[in-house]
Amino acid sequence: MRCVIVDDDPFIQELLKDKLLNYFPEISLEGVASNGHEGIQLIKKLNPDLVFLDVEMTDMTGFEMLAMFDELPFKIIFITSYKHYAIKAIRSNALDYLLKPFDLEELKNAISRFKKNHLDQTQNLKNTISTLKTKSNKDDLLTLKTQQGDLFIPLDDIIHIEGERNYSLIHLVNQKKELVSKTLSNLEDLLKGKGFFRCHKSFIINKSHILEESNHNYVVLSNHKEIPISRRRKDTFSNWNRNL
Amino acid sequence: MTSHSHHTKYINLEHVYGISRGDKDKILKYLNQFNELIPERLDLLNRALLLKNREQVRQIIHKMSPQLQFFGIQSISHHIHKLELDFKTMPFSELTAMVNDIILNLEQAIKEVHSTIIDLETN
Repeated sequence: MRCVIVDDDPFIQELLKDKLLNYFPEISLEGVASNGHEGIQLIKKLNPDLVFLDVEMTDMTGFEMLAMFDELPFKIIFITSYKHYAIKAIRSNALDYLLKPFDLEELKNAISRFKKNHLDQTQNLKNTISTLKTKSNKDDLLTLKTQQGDLFIPLDDIIHIEGERNYSLIHLVNQKKELVSKTLSNLEDLLKGKGFFRCHKSFIINKSHILEESNHNYVVLSNHKEIPISRRRKDTFSNWNRNL
Repeated sequence: MTSHSHHTKYINLEHVYGISRGDKDKILKYLNQFNELIPERLDLLNRALLLKNREQVRQIIHKMSPQLQFFGIQSISHHIHKLELDFKTMPFSELTAMVNDIILNLEQAIKEVHSTIIDLETN
């Protein structure tokens, strides 16, 4: 059996190399890549049976690397550190993972499962990538500096933002509000491409909180507020609302 | 063959000796690698603190964590878990204090690794 390691930590590369050498003579380590881009090249060149793949690398995640392959004719054992957010997604899609710095029994079990399991992992991997994409969108935050320190607001929690000269009032779920010293234009820039739209000179709205739309004149949001759509923004709004 | 007989306060080399199976060159490989990688990462941590970059702090801690576990560095494991979980929300002053404590402990660990290297090379 031929394997490769894709991990950007030289310590992990050495440790896994030694563990394989010491305890798994039937597995031949064919190559080591230090980032996702090198990993793609190495896998395409060597066509291994098994890839030990780091979840979080500096240039891309292991999932982003896998997404660059049309087919996955190799098995994957993900390697990750303690309490990484991706573990839940990996586990729930019946994929294998190892926690760094590798307990020998867990490594033995993972390799034994790899030897027995010849099922195609492609669909499970696609599900995992999709789960993580959804999670990562939900985790997006709006980060703002305030006099009290950094303020982190999950984007999902923002319903709409109201501009008041040099300040903006952020209307959040659960009827909370945050007044921040940013203009609406500043916030519009920060939120570009994240599901928000400046529908009026005084308002930015969050697409995921639109309950209904009235003939492109106004929208009703999840806090039951009616927000006007200015005449000159109607066409852009219509395209945005349709396409997003 | 080398046996594990060094008295250390910050590090525990049980795993290093275990994987190396007493092979002095392998033990030295892990020790030297620790002394190359950890100081670099401490520099990066200091820089991330100066820039108040919480995500970068988390990434560096996350990257170091397996090597610290492997070297049996227990004194800062609570800080590491807390930083990994709460890096976004904890007050920046608390984050700074924890990172500084990690740095102080690891500077001591580096000294112990350095002494162990000298011992091994001279014996």
